[in-house]
Amino acid sequence: MLQLLVGQTLNGVIVGTLYGIIALGVTLTFGITGIVNFALGEFMMIGAYVTWYLFDVAGLPYPVAIFPATAIAAGCGFVADQLLFRFTRNNLINGLLVSIGLISIIEAAALLLWTTTPKDMGYVLSGAVRLGGVSVPKMKLVVFALLAAVMFLTYAALSRTWIGRAAYAYSQNPEAAMLMGVRTEVLQSGVVVYSTALAGFGGALYASLYSLEPAMGGLYILKGIEAAILGGIGSLIGALAGGIILGVTEAVGSIYLPGAFRDAYGLIFVVAILLYQPSGLFGAER
Amino acid sequence: MKALLWLPLLIFPALIQSNFILTIFTFSFILAIAAVSFNLIFGFTGQLSMFHAAAFGIAAYITSLTASIFHVSFWVGLVPAICFTILISLIIGSICFKFKLRAFYFAVVTLAFSELARLVILNWNSVTNGTLGLMVLDKPFLWVPVTGLTKIDGVFGWYFFSLAALIFTVAACSLVLRSWIGRCFAAIRLNEDLAQTLGINIFRYKLLSFTLANTLAAIAGSLYAFYTGYIEPNYLSINQSLDIISMVLLGGRSSIIGPIAGAFVLTGLPHVINLSGEARAILYGLVLILTILVLPQGMIGTLASWRRAA
Amino acid sequence: MLLEVIELTKRFGGLTAVSDVSLSIAAGEIVGIFGPNGSGKTTLLNLITGILAPSAGRILWKTVDIHGHSPNAIAAAGIVKTFQNPQLFLELSIYDNVAIASHLRLRRRLGVRRVAELLPWRDSARHAEMAQRIDGILALCRLEGVRDRTAASLSYGQEKMLGVAMAMMCEPELLLLDEPASGLGEDEIRTLEEVLRDLRDSGTTLCIIDHKVDFLARITDRAIALQQGSVIAEGVPAKVLRHPRVVEAYLGRQHARA
Repeated sequence: MLQLLVGQTLNGVIVGTLYGIIALGVTLTFGITGIVNFALGEFMMIGAYVTWYLFDVAGLPYPVAIFPATAIAAGCGFVADQLLFRFTRNNLINGLLVSIGLISIIEAAALLLWTTTPKDMGYVLSGAVRLGGVSVPKMKLVVFALLAAVMFLTYAALSRTWIGRAAYAYSQNPEAAMLMGVRTEVLQSGVVVYSTALAGFGGALYASLYSLEPAMGGLYILKGIEAAILGGIGSLIGALAGGIILGVTEAVGSIYLPGAFRDAYGLIFVVAILLYQPSGLFGAER
Repeated sequence: MKALLWLPLLIFPALIQSNFILTIFTFSFILAIAAVSFNLIFGFTGQLSMFHAAAFGIAAYITSLTASIFHVSFWVGLVPAICFTILISLIIGSICFKFKLRAFYFAVVTLAFSELARLVILNWNSVTNGTLGLMVLDKPFLWVPVTGLTKIDGVFGWYFFSLAALIFTVAACSLVLRSWIGRCFAAIRLNEDLAQTLGINIFRYKLLSFTLANTLAAIAGSLYAFYTGYIEPNYLSINQSLDIISMVLLGGRSSIIGPIAGAFVLTGLPHVINLSGEARAILYGLVLILTILVLPQGMIGTLASWRRAA
Repeated sequence: MLLEVIELTKRFGGLTAVSDVSLSIAAGEIVGIFGPNGSGKTTLLNLITGILAPSAGRILWKTVDIHGHSPNAIAAAGIVKTFQNPQLFLELSIYDNVAIASHLRLRRRLGVRRVAELLPWRDSARHAEMAQRIDGILALCRLEGVRDRTAASLSYGQEKMLGVAMAMMCEPELLLLDEPASGLGEDEIRTLEEVLRDLRDSGTTLCIIDHKVDFLARITDRAIALQQGSVIAEGVPAKVLRHPRVVEAYLGRQHARA
């Protein structure tokens, strides 16, 4: 029983970091542009499918395949930003609705290209490690380490460099930031592109562990938003923490409650947090 | 005067003999009820609710299940459906509006409740039959002059029945929106802080708008279930909510009848142009994006402003 | 005594915006509250109208404690304010702006019977009655000519007047004006003074918050001076303006000593 618990907890942590990378994208975009890019899940899917294609079909080694996949996801994000989000900068509801429209388009395109048949990548890294009495596949640890590293690097970059300060200033007072010379248009585009890159990277790593299908985008953006709200919108650490808490709750919950409840935890968290601690577990008053 | 606009629709079946077209119109009428009611909370009160499809779907299930389990008519089945919709709207609305959730958070919380409802229906196999859905074999009965108690079955019956329901919905919305209640909705949409200072109880009127919108959606859902003869958990999906949002945006959110136009276009188009499921999804996505970026007032709104400018 | 504020305090974290303020306003008065920027005038206003909750103290309106009540309940009780930066329903016409403000009036006149107003055949009767009332208020605020124009098309001075018109449509017993004269030219200020006197003559008690001391001196019966959240002087305007602490607050210590 204890083994099951430990095993599920570890699983939950790893899935949680995947939730966390999306949550990071959500929190960054919302914090700086005020819009939630509901289509982030689709960019994760793009990263995943491109990685699968490059690795399984084109035969590139996995570490090499990740980079073009992330780049392509980010490129698509850039296109979406220039064609769509650029025109909804000041209107939050419109930005939200536009991103929702984007979901339909990207998901349908993926269905046309790859159909609903799940795609599985071959083994990237085989072998397992014993951790806490449980056998954990090495690849899962690698994924966890990479995602956590990227998230901490992002946090460090934003809190220590001038880009970060500019972004923070903008999120506090857009007009003042603009007057002080912060290139706001570049900042907004940059955030959108960076968050899609994060999502694409997450997708590339996701592909090494799980099977792919076009519906994964919709699932992950919902989890990402739940994790971001749980951790506190605007808090980068909160994104990772929220993701892990959600992942672990779902994984451990599945031991005691039927699988049908899996998706309910996140939804209940959201409602509860927004009612009792709207700034999230780690967030500050925005 | 505006009542004359309905005349063409009333005599339409006499002119067009095609069952196929009349069926599309019937579907459009029913979905238009969902769209017009969504516009109450979205276009007129300015709140983006993602719970509309849930209201649509939950009522579909309750009406059908009540009718089949207790062997009662559609109308009797409609009663618990509407009562439940009002109750759940008051609860969810109270939660959201008491805590003064704004824009994005209101959308997320209503989405959360909508998804929870969908999961309940999806997994409560003993009652709802889960993903397999349920067949609805009954049809409503209506007392009509000349023929007496008639079964609403067949193309003509459903055409006029759903058209009558749509006219009722539009009339109800019109009464509400032209009164002081409509002014309160507009005030909340345009400047909530000012509205409060002028004595408008924001909580009460948002709750009223949300409840009324969901109740009318419940009627639409029940009609839809009995018309198609089949219900499934996808009635409550986010995609269904998005379809309705697209209809409203396409048709125009500043008028009561705008969403009707949107419903007709989006319901009819995939049949006129034979599209695969994926192509339809792409179409809807494009419609959503293009209306926001290019045609923010929707079709009817844009026409109205051309007329004003002329 | 219409309004009594008793030892009202508001703290924002470490900052005390309003400190132990006590004042009272009697029916029929025009009271002025003034002070330099940051003296807590707007915070005081927001406390009275329910937008902020006090940290300590009480607010008595016709001897009933109203602190903690919601803004719309306080408006319904008879206290209405105007905004320093005019808040309007920009997309709508002037007429519609004032029509929305008739909400409280309709509620007071009809109560629950308002529901009957939903019936379609009540339309024309209702519109005629409301139109008459709205035109009356617009005339009072010197806005007759612009009835059908959009609120967004008004000049700044007209926007402020529209704010007053909407507040008046709520039939307040006490009208609180937040810096009504700021941003107005001399002519417009004269017009404003005329309108305010007309309002008082028709039975509304006024409380004006501003920092234009000459405007306040001309229009108010009684003045209250605030500085850094506390009352430093109170009385007839001419005397208050010469009060050493007031002079010091506005012009600095040197002038006060002189």
